[in-house]
Amino acid sequence: MAEPLLGYLAEFGTAEKLVEAARSAREAGYRRLDAFTPFPVEGLADLLRFRDNRIGWLSIVGGLTGFLGMLAVQLFVNFDYRIEVGGRPIFAYPAFFVVDFEIMVLLAVLFPVIGMLVINGLPRLHHPLFGTPRFGLASDDRFFLYVDSRDPKFDKDHTRTFLGSLGAWLVEPVRP
Amino acid sequence: MASDTRALPLSESFRDITREVGRVPLHFPARVPWLIAMILSLALLSLFLASITYLFARGVGIWGLNIPVNWAFAIHLYVWWLGLGHAGTLISAMLLLMGQDWRNSLNRFAEAMTLCAVICAGMEPILHLGRPWFLYWMFPYPATMGVWPQFRSPLEWDIWAVLTYLTVSLIFWYIGAVPDFATLRDRARQRGWQLFFGIMSLGWRGSARHWLVWQKSYRTVAIIAVPLVVSVHSEVSLLFASGQIPGWHSTIFPPYFVLGAAFSGFAMVAMIAIVMRHVFQLKHLVTDRHLDVLAKVLLASGLMTAYGYLFEVFDACYSGNVHEIATVHDRFFGPYSWSFWGAVVCNFVPLQALWLRSVRRNRMLLFLISTSVVVGMWLERYMILVTSLYKDFLPSSFGMYHASFWDWSTYIGMIGLFMTPFLLFVRFIPSISIFEDKEVLEREKEAARG
Repeated sequence: MAEPLLGYLAEFGTAEKLVEAARSAREAGYRRLDAFTPFPVEGLADLLRFRDNRIGWLSIVGGLTGFLGMLAVQLFVNFDYRIEVGGRPIFAYPAFFVVDFEIMVLLAVLFPVIGMLVINGLPRLHHPLFGTPRFGLASDDRFFLYVDSRDPKFDKDHTRTFLGSLGAWLVEPVRP
Repeated sequence: MASDTRALPLSESFRDITREVGRVPLHFPARVPWLIAMILSLALLSLFLASITYLFARGVGIWGLNIPVNWAFAIHLYVWWLGLGHAGTLISAMLLLMGQDWRNSLNRFAEAMTLCAVICAGMEPILHLGRPWFLYWMFPYPATMGVWPQFRSPLEWDIWAVLTYLTVSLIFWYIGAVPDFATLRDRARQRGWQLFFGIMSLGWRGSARHWLVWQKSYRTVAIIAVPLVVSVHSEVSLLFASGQIPGWHSTIFPPYFVLGAAFSGFAMVAMIAIVMRHVFQLKHLVTDRHLDVLAKVLLASGLMTAYGYLFEVFDACYSGNVHEIATVHDRFFGPYSWSFWGAVVCNFVPLQALWLRSVRRNRMLLFLISTSVVVGMWLERYMILVTSLYKDFLPSSFGMYHASFWDWSTYIGMIGLFMTPFLLFVRFIPSISIFEDKEVLEREKEAARG
C-alpha cells in the first residue's frame, strides 16, 4: 500500500502557462490550490483568492506602539530624575522627537516582518514538498501548481489527467 | 531605443540568472583575487584592533583632538561612513517603490555595503566616548543610582539612530535575500552548503501565499526605510546645529547632509559594481546601462550637493553675522582652506565629465570619478567640522588641529573593518538578487512579446 497522497504538483514551463492553468483549475471548481514560482507572479495570488491585509495594520500598530512607548520612556526618565539646565523645559519635545521617530520606525518594521514570518509559517525546517524530486526547480525556472488532496473535487485519477490536460509537463504526487 | 531602456539582455534565461549568480558562492570563481583582498583587509583590521587597544589603554588623548577641536576624526568619519551607507538603502527602498527595474541588479550588494558602512559609522562615536566600556549608560535601564540617560542630548540621538538604521538595514537585506537563499539551497550539492542555505532560507518554498505576504512586508519596510534614511542623516546635521559654533546653523543642512551622503554612497556603489562585475564576470547582469544610470544619479546628486555648498555660503552672507562670515572666510582662505578647495575640486570638477555618454559608459573613468567623489566627500566632512571648531568667538579659544598617527591608523584600519565583512558577504551570499532579476526579465520578455 502506497503512502497517503497529500496532493499533486504539476510542472509548467512559463508563468503564463501557470496562470492559465490556475484559472482553468479554479473554473473547474478546485479550491485548495497553491502555486510555487521562482519570483512573485503578478495576479496569481488574486486568481487563487489569497488575500491578506494584516501586514499594513501590523506596521501601523508597531509604529504607534514605538512612538507612544518611547515617548512614555523619555517622559518618565526626565521627570523621574529632573535635570534642570538653564531653565530649559523638562518636556523637550523637539529633542525627544528624534529618538521617538527612530523607535517608531524600528517597531513599524519589526512588527510586519515578524508578522510575515508567522503568517507564512516560517522558519520551518522541513516540508513534504521538499521530498518531491522536481520541486527544487521552483526556485530556478519552473512554475508549479499544487492541488491539495483535501480539495472536495480531488480525485486520485481524474485530477491527475485534468492537470495533464492543462499542459503540465509533469504531474507528481506529493507524499508525506 | 528599446534595447537602451532594457536593464537585462533578452538573450538571458531564468536559468542563466540562477547560474551566473549562484556560481559565485557555490563555485567561487575568483579565489586568488579574493584571497589577496582578504589578506589585505585582515591586515587592516589588525591595525584597527591594535589602534583601539592602545586607545582603550591610553584614552582619546592619543588622537590629535583637544579643546577647541574635540570632534575631529571620530565624528567626521562617523558622518562620512554613515553617508556612504545611505546609497544602499536609497537604491533598495526608494527605487523599489519607484519601480526602477535597474535597481534589481544592484540592491543586494549595495545593501551589504550599507551594513558594513553602518558598522564602521557606529564604531566611531563609541570610540569617541572616551570610556567605551560605559556604553550601556546610554540605555534607559534602572541603575542603582537612580539616574537615567539624557534624551535631550545628541549622543542619545546618535545611538538610537544608528542602532535603528543598522537593524532596519539588516532586516531589509535579509528578508530580501531569503528567496535567493532558497534558490541556492536547491542548487547546492554539498552537504555543508545545503545546511547553510537551508537554515538561512528559513524553509522558503516560493508559494503564491508566501510571495503575497512577503511582498507586502517587503514594500512596507521599503516605504519606512526611505524616511528613515532622511531622518538619520538629518539627525546627524541636527547634532551640529545643537552646538553654538558658527558655520553649523544653515537651514540647508539637513537636506544638504542627506544629499551629500547619497552622493558619496552612489559613488561607492559605482566603484563596487565596477569591481564586482569585472572580477566575477557579471556583465550580463550588471550591464553598461546600469553603470550609465548610476553615473547619471551620481551627477544629479552631485549637482544638488553643489547647490548646498552655494546656499551655505549665501546663508552666511545673508545672515550678516560677523562670526558666520568669518567662518566662511576661514573656509576659503584659512589654514584649512585645502580641505574646502579639495572638496570642491574632488567633488565637482571631474564629475562634470559625466555629462558625456561616452564617459558614463567608460568603466575606468567612472571608477576614477567615483573615487574622487568619495575622497571629496571625506574632505568636505573634515572641512565642516574642523573649520568651524578651530575658531569660534573668542581669540583665546582658537586652536589648531592636526591628526595624529593614531587618528590615521584608526581610520585606515577601519577600512579593514569595512572590507572584511563585505568580502565574506561576496564569498558566501548571492551578491545579486536572483529572483528580482528574474522578475525584471519576465517583464521585459512580456513587453518584447507585446
